Amino acid sequence: MSGTEQEQSDERLINASLAGHDGAFALLVSRYKRKVFGLASRIARDRDELEDLCQEVFIKVYDNLGKFRGEAPFEHWLTKIAVRICHDALRSRRHERFRVTDSRLSELHDHGAEARSHASEARQLLAWAIGQLKPDEQLVITLLELEEKSIRETASLTGWSESNIKVRAFRARQALKLILEVEHGRQL
Amino acid sequence: MGDNSDEKLEQLFAAARSGGIDTASLEEHFETRLMARIAERNAGSMPWYLLVWRMIPGFAVATLITAACSLIFNPSRYSDLFAGITVGQEDTITISSLVGE
Repeated sequence: MSGTEQEQSDERLINASLAGHDGAFALLVSRYKRKVFGLASRIARDRDELEDLCQEVFIKVYDNLGKFRGEAPFEHWLTKIAVRICHDALRSRRHERFRVTDSRLSELHDHGAEARSHASEARQLLAWAIGQLKPDEQLVITLLELEEKSIRETASLTGWSESNIKVRAFRARQALKLILEVEHGRQL
Repeated sequence: MGDNSDEKLEQLFAAARSGGIDTASLEEHFETRLMARIAERNAGSMPWYLLVWRMIPGFAVATLITAACSLIFNPSRYSDLFAGITVGQEDTITISSLVGE
């Protein structure tokens, strides 16, 4: 399917959804759910939260479908909504950050130094370290480094300026390096 | 914090990128669960006028059934023999009282 056909098809599905055909919306969901799950899984802490985040994204899309003007591709509009909901989730849990990270830390310590070399352990360590950052920095580093978006794309998705993204990314990287060094020092 | 920490961070990013979390089992039937939640939410927040509008066919059917039943099971009084007698008696009593008999 070419890009244009996909867009036409998206448009048709959106119009059908707006006319009240829920089946068309379900088709739209099945087309883009993988992308939303991919992004939300970087943010969610467990399967329940992942399911909730994804449902929240698509419910928001369902409620605001009439506001979609088609100026940008539907996928971009959907991703913006997903990013906003992920950011809200990060902000809502900022007070419980330390409790969560402490439990994650103890889990990591239990596994031992050798297991740390495995990729899954590396992912866990990074997830724990990212969890220590401020919500804005978490979002920026997730989009830039894990989702491999460009500065421009990240700015467009978050609504922040490009220079703002650069500053936040720089601070996030500095903080991450510090966190990992402190953690490494505790291990030795 | 030097090149070493940068390199280590890049390695961690690469490891996180390479092995995404497997969400296939959660994605299964996601649409069904989502549409059920949307339907439940919509049903819960249905405005009263929409509810009345949706009940119009029901009201129409009930009215038709009532009308049909009243025609079939409750015929006119004048077609009933006993009703006729009763009406006649009422007339006789009225005339008697008027003429003073």
